[in-house]
Amino acid sequence: MRAVGWTGGRAVGVVAAVLLSAGPAVRLSAQDSARISEAQAILAPLVESYGVSGAEGPVRELVKRLLPAWAKSETDTAGNLWVRLGQGNPLIVFVAHMDEIGFRVTAVRDDGSLELEPRGGFIASLFEAQPALVHTDKGDVAGVFMPRDSGFARHTAPPLRVDVGTTTRAGTIARGVSPGQTVSMPKQFVRLAGTRATGRSFDDRVGDAAQILALRHLDRAALKHQVIFIWSVREEIGLEGAGVAAAALGTAPRRVHAIDTFVSADSPLEPPNFAVAPIGAGAVARALDNSSVTPPAYVDSLVHLARARSVALQVGTTNGGNDGSMFTPYGVVDVALGWPLRYSHSPVEVVDLKDVASLADLIRAIAESW
Amino acid sequence: MPSISTLRRTGGLADRRTAEAVLVAWAVLSARPPVRLSGQSLDQLAVRFASMTAVTGLEQAMTDSLLGLLPGSTRDRAGNVTLTIGQGAPKRLVQCPLDELGYVVGNITGDGYVLLRRVGAPTTYPLFDQQLEGHRVTVFGMKGAVPGVVAVKSTHLTRGRVGSGAPDLVFTVDNAYVDVGAATAADARALGVDVLAPVSLAKRPLPYGDRLLAAPGAGRRAACAALVAAVQTKPKVKGTVVVALTVQSLYTGNAGLASVKALLGPFDDTKTASLTTRYTDTAVETVALGDADALVKQLVTWMEGR
Repeated sequence: MRAVGWTGGRAVGVVAAVLLSAGPAVRLSAQDSARISEAQAILAPLVESYGVSGAEGPVRELVKRLLPAWAKSETDTAGNLWVRLGQGNPLIVFVAHMDEIGFRVTAVRDDGSLELEPRGGFIASLFEAQPALVHTDKGDVAGVFMPRDSGFARHTAPPLRVDVGTTTRAGTIARGVSPGQTVSMPKQFVRLAGTRATGRSFDDRVGDAAQILALRHLDRAALKHQVIFIWSVREEIGLEGAGVAAAALGTAPRRVHAIDTFVSADSPLEPPNFAVAPIGAGAVARALDNSSVTPPAYVDSLVHLARARSVALQVGTTNGGNDGSMFTPYGVVDVALGWPLRYSHSPVEVVDLKDVASLADLIRAIAESW
Repeated sequence: MPSISTLRRTGGLADRRTAEAVLVAWAVLSARPPVRLSGQSLDQLAVRFASMTAVTGLEQAMTDSLLGLLPGSTRDRAGNVTLTIGQGAPKRLVQCPLDELGYVVGNITGDGYVLLRRVGAPTTYPLFDQQLEGHRVTVFGMKGAVPGVVAVKSTHLTRGRVGSGAPDLVFTVDNAYVDVGAATAADARALGVDVLAPVSLAKRPLPYGDRLLAAPGAGRRAACAALVAAVQTKPKVKGTVVVALTVQSLYTGNAGLASVKALLGPFDDTKTASLTTRYTDTAVETVALGDADALVKQLVTWMEGR
């Protein structure tokens, strides 16, 4: 049970923190419970697929394959993937984004190297002097993000370029590389001690996975109203896909639940002024961020629901925006949900799979009971 | 092609996933082998060696593997792997340094973060330590390889907190908190992690371009692969040739090579196997495997006294 200070004039913060495991602190994956194994089975392939903002196709196709067989999906003109179920009012929407941060090729230089522009916000030096992948129509082309050759007294990297091992523009183009293609870094889902894991783009593949897990376990007969699950595009570059979905639905939804990262200060490098939600202690009500404020009564109601369904839930405030904020201009209440994440937008984001499972349980509970 | 379990036993590979990645790279590279050896091609050896970790002074996992690759070789008291071929005069030495700049565990915090101490000589890349920040590492603990990550500030939480004109300080090893998923120091120790365990960046050698290979220390490892490949061609050496894969080249005055000379010398001539690299001392140090082909030929010619 954890109390978290909550900006908004009062301290709510009673947390239904049901710690999910009293088992050994260090646990091998071979000792996972069925729910942890299932969470990993869904999340790992999602993390290892590539989908820089504007190029989410591989992720979308994977989401389709991971959906339960009964789920009928549709893709809108923006590229968002929709699954509709249930009937009647109120209409509730869940939205998790499929895209990830990365780069786009802007030019091929005479020496064959690639000029880039970032897609999303991140610390560019984390990519400097690292392996690179250019995502082309004919497959990934390997290369390296070139290290700087001056400015060694600064942490900040200069504009990054990629070397694909060629020495001329023609040589690069012959490899199928051209402006407009996206670039990222090779990635792996790797288990750490206990139920923790690391990889890149947990933001927001955990949200994607949690929605899939919720759908797999949902009691469709228990639904009393219509529910729409959306996997959105281009969140990292301005919530663009969610904007299209929100405009399409207008004032019809009662609530929207953005399912996205709760960037946690659970790290030796972060001041604990806010964003205090330890990893492993459950899902998080992202009650206040840079794009939305959840009305306090909704937070209270959510906490009661979580308690009734024995779902681990923390309440907190963090930085960042969320897709749900695109719905609020239509009078839709944004009750954003997340899970605590360490080292956001880095190649080594860290999650606890227990939190993934509790987030999926919470989504299911909301769909069925709220 | 050796099995994954063999790779894990013999070379300090980080984990099964790394071994699988290496085998995939291996398969790609072997599609156009320039030098076919009885067991492995030069490209395969280079990828294999580049996957290994041998922090200077703590090279045993890699030298275990080398002993298996070079029948008749032995490990001397300093840890060097040596093989003597031929007999009589002249007596010559050909060597490659196999160690690398790296880290050892220096301390473990109460909340389970692992702190590091750098091992090795000054590097040519001034941002060597900054390459740790926000990247995966492997701690070679008493119970095997333990994956970890080096903590980095979350992008979102820095917004609005860094004023213009604030210092833009480079990341140093003293800023490195390694997160292995432990919540306490006892958790970390239960994984086999303790003071003096070697630590390196997680290694996944990357073939790219036209037979280029990128990896930490790729140049040294490709040169050592060329030396092993040259020996495996069974050259008809002139006189005696001592082949040495040396340790501690980056520390304590090149103690490994000095030991070889003291224990097996004097030598009439000494040759060092080395290759030109691009992006030297970075995580993507790049070597051209075509250059390694040429090095094999040079080494064979030298050993045969031609």
